[in-house]
Formats: sequence, C-alpha cells, structure tokens
Amino acid sequence: MNTLDFSIVTQSWPYLWSGLLFSLALTAAAFVIGMVLGTCLALVQHFEIPVFAQIIRGYVAVIRSIPLILVLFWFFFLVPIVLGHLSGNGRPIPIGATYTAFITFGLFEAAYYSEIIRVGLRAVNKGQFEACQALALSTYDTYRHIVLPQVLRVASPIILSQTIILFQDTSLVYVLSLTDLLGAASKLAQLNGRLVEMYLVVAVAYLAISSAASQCVAVLRKRYALATSR
Amino acid sequence: MHRETSSNAAQPGPIVVVESLVKRFGAFTALNDVNLRVGIGEKIVLCGPSGSGKSTLIRCINHIEKHDGGRIIVDGVELSNRLADINSVRSETGMVFQSFNLFPHLTVAENCMLAPMKVRGISQAEARDRALGLLRKVRIQDQADKYPAQLSGGQQQRVAIARALCMQPKIMLFDEPTSALDPEMVKEVLDTMVELARDGMTMVCVTHEMGFAREVADRVVFMDRGSIVEEADPETFFRAPRTERAKGFLNQIIH
Ligand SMILES: Nc1ncnc2c1ncn2[C@@H]1O[C@H](COP(=O)(O)OP(=O)(O)OP(=O)(O)O)[C@@H](O)[C@H]1O
Ligand SMILES: [Mg+2]
Repeated sequence: MNTLDFSIVTQSWPYLWSGLLFSLALTAAAFVIGMVLGTCLALVQHFEIPVFAQIIRGYVAVIRSIPLILVLFWFFFLVPIVLGHLSGNGRPIPIGATYTAFITFGLFEAAYYSEIIRVGLRAVNKGQFEACQALALSTYDTYRHIVLPQVLRVASPIILSQTIILFQDTSLVYVLSLTDLLGAASKLAQLNGRLVEMYLVVAVAYLAISSAASQCVAVLRKRYALATSR
Repeated sequence: MHRETSSNAAQPGPIVVVESLVKRFGAFTALNDVNLRVGIGEKIVLCGPSGSGKSTLIRCINHIEKHDGGRIIVDGVELSNRLADINSVRSETGMVFQSFNLFPHLTVAENCMLAPMKVRGISQAEARDRALGLLRKVRIQDQADKYPAQLSGGQQQRVAIARALCMQPKIMLFDEPTSALDPEMVKEVLDTMVELARDGMTMVCVTHEMGFAREVADRVVFMDRGSIVEEADPETFFRAPRTERAKGFLNQIIH
C-alpha cells in the first residue's frame, strides 16, 4: 500500500454519494427544524411568557451542556419508551434510526439557534421599536417585518457558522447505525483496505463544503455590515 | 372608542388636549401637571433646557410613554390602556425622531409602504404610489429604491418625514429632527418642515432652531423641570421673555 490508488474511490462513488446526500439532507432538515423551533423558543424567552420561558431556559441550558452523541442515545432509547407509555399499553414504540436522527438534530440545533436569536433580539435598537409604535404597527407586524428580519440578517454569519458545525456533526449518526459520508467512507475503507485514499477524499469533500459555506459567511458579514451601522 | 362630544367635526376644537399630565420614571417626576391644547392646523414649538421633559411630553401624546396621571385626548380619542384607542391615536399621529429610526433592511420606498399596507390595509400598488408621491414632495424620489444607509443624514430624515406622512396623519410630532445632522444638512430638513407647515399640517416640534420657530410657529411653549413655564407667540417670546428661566435659557442658546 505504498502508492495511492484512487480508482477504488471512483468505483465506490455511488455509495459515497448516497452517504453525502444523507449528511446534506440531515443538515438541511435539522437547519429548518432548528431555525423554526429556535425562533419560537427565543421569542417565548424574549417575551418572558410565564412558566414556558423558564422551562425553555432549562431546556436550552441542558441541551447545550450535553454532548450531541449522548442526546442521540437518549432519544433513540428513551423516546420509544415515552411513546409507549403515552400510547397506554406500555410497550416501547420504536421510531427508527432515521427519524431519531432528524428529530434529535433538529431539537439539538434549536437550542443553539435560539440562543443566537435571543441575543440578536436584545441587540435590536430601541428606536426601531419606537418607530414601529409611532406607525401603529401591531406587535406581530413589528416582529414579522422589522425585528426578526434584522435579527436574522445580523445573526446570519453566526447561524451559518453553527450550521457548518452541524454539518460536521452529522457524522455522529454512526451510533444509530446510519451511514453518512464519513460512515460510508470508513465502511468502504475497512472492506478494501484503502484507508488513506478514502479518508483523503472524504476530508476534501468536508473541506470543500465547509469552506464554501465559510465564504458565504464572509460575504454575509460584509453585506450586512452596512445595514447594522445604524 | 371614547369620543369627546366637545371635539366632533362640526365644531373644530383642539385636536390635542393634554390635561394635568403627570409622568414619572420611578421616583422621578418627569412631567408635573402639564396642560396643553393644540388647535387644528396650529404649529407649536416646544423648547427648554435638556431634561426639562420635552421629549417625554410628545412621546406621551402618541403613547410611546405611558402617562401616570391626567388626560390626553387626540382627535377626540382619549388615551387609555385600550389597544384600540392607542392604535387609533398612533395612526393619526406621525412622529419624526432625532435619530431617524428608519428600517435599515428595507428600501426607502418600502420604509414608506409598510405601515400604510399593514395598518391602513391599502394595496401594494397604492402604497407605492403614495410613497413615491410623498418622496417627491420631500425631493428624494430618485432615491426610492436605495437603502437608508446609502443616504446622507439629511436625506434619511426627509425619508422619515415622508414615511410618517404616508400614514396621512392629522398631527405631526417632531423630536429635535435636526440635532443629529451635520450643519449643512439642517436647512434641507427645515425647508421640508416649513413646506409641511404651509400645507396646513398640525405640528408639535421640539427644536431649538429659532429661525424655524420664528417662521412657522403660532406659539412657543417653554418647558423647565417638567412643567410648562411660559407660552407666547415667537416674536414676544424671543424678544421679551417674561420669566427669568426663559431669559436664562435664551441667553444660553444664543451663545
Ligand atoms: N426612560 C427613562 N427612564 C428614566 N428617566 C427618564 C427616561 N426618559 C427620560 N427620563 C428623564 O426624564 C427627564 C426628562 O427627559 P426628556 O428626555 O423628556 O427631556 P428633554 O427635555 O427631551 O431633554 P433633551 O433636550 O436632552 O432631549 C430627564 O431628567 C430624563 O433623565
Ligand atoms: Mg429630548
């Protein structure tokens, strides 16, 4: 194994490709669930809605202090048991590894995104709220059209950075026996013994995707620097 | 809504009535028994030393600050805690801030279109027509599709005026609209305000621009330490202020 042989990579391309697609799909789903839920969680805290705000604060604190891999385990084993109890007959209801991954990643990311958005909400200039009041805009319209769009713009570089981490974290689904890009590569590597080639290709794929996203972060930073100056 | 019988359309009474107004911030009394009546079409200039309560007074009129005592009646609607009353007063009252407070993520035209569409319920096409018309009036129609950050301070403040006018308010409140501007931009904003005054708008302006006060004000109201100390027409007020506090204040802003 002293010369590199990439033909093995081309042969196993379809399998790698399906692994990559799974990583991307999981990232996209977790992003959407995480952003929608995270925004709601941030707003509940922002409006100090009694009881719910405290519960959410606790939820966010817990999730953020536990490694993702542990949360994945929990969900995989605990949620079926809880569902079983809820359904009445007490027998665990398995929800499957794929659903577990999507739901867990979404809930996990929601905690992180909600913190980013919560901080962003506090940073919105008081004058923006006053202008909305003076124009008789409702609270809903104020947040929907003025406050949240500004928060999302200002926070978009941090949100995207968090999403890059999320993309890399998708490799943890191996604990659920799911196959993402890294999982596909390591399975192939063990079969054909071409570890170096496989891991090189995978590293390049991660690098390409993450650095493309980082470029977007830089562009967003620049683009919204103007808008935040006032 | 609590319509006041004394100010219905048949007999034009004051459009803004402030009675025995009290506003506190914690233990500090920012406004103490303030009484003010503004007639339809009247232009009032509010002045006074820093911290005298000028901003607080006009911010109470559109309920950006909630008052603690007394009554405020705007166009026949008394401000209470009821959302319907608050919104009704706010939609008849335009406000221009010292720091513009334009929406940075919306274009100039969108800044002007949002509230008319959401609050008045007019169509997007109508809102855009109205916005462009008023932007022409403040002479920045060619900037309609730019973002606020691309405009000079004077242009931004004129957008803020157009944005308020797009709601077709009956009263305009100005809180030191020119104090954040570079000196060379003050005039373009004051000119816009003078024009608005000529059109017959009811205006309450906090400003220390004495030239503007002389030109358009029907009345100058001088405040100090949370109270109205003196009221007079501008000529009288500037030439022969009655109180020592007003004299002291005028000496300060002249020098
Ligand atoms: N949100 C607030 N909390 C506490 N105190 C306040 C608040 N807003 C205003 N005040 C106080 O109320 C008083 C009146 O303030 P106001 O802003 O109305 O004065 P002003 O006449 O507009 O002064 P300036 O010319 O500096 O703008 C000041 O002493 C100020 O410190
Ligand atoms: Mg002030």
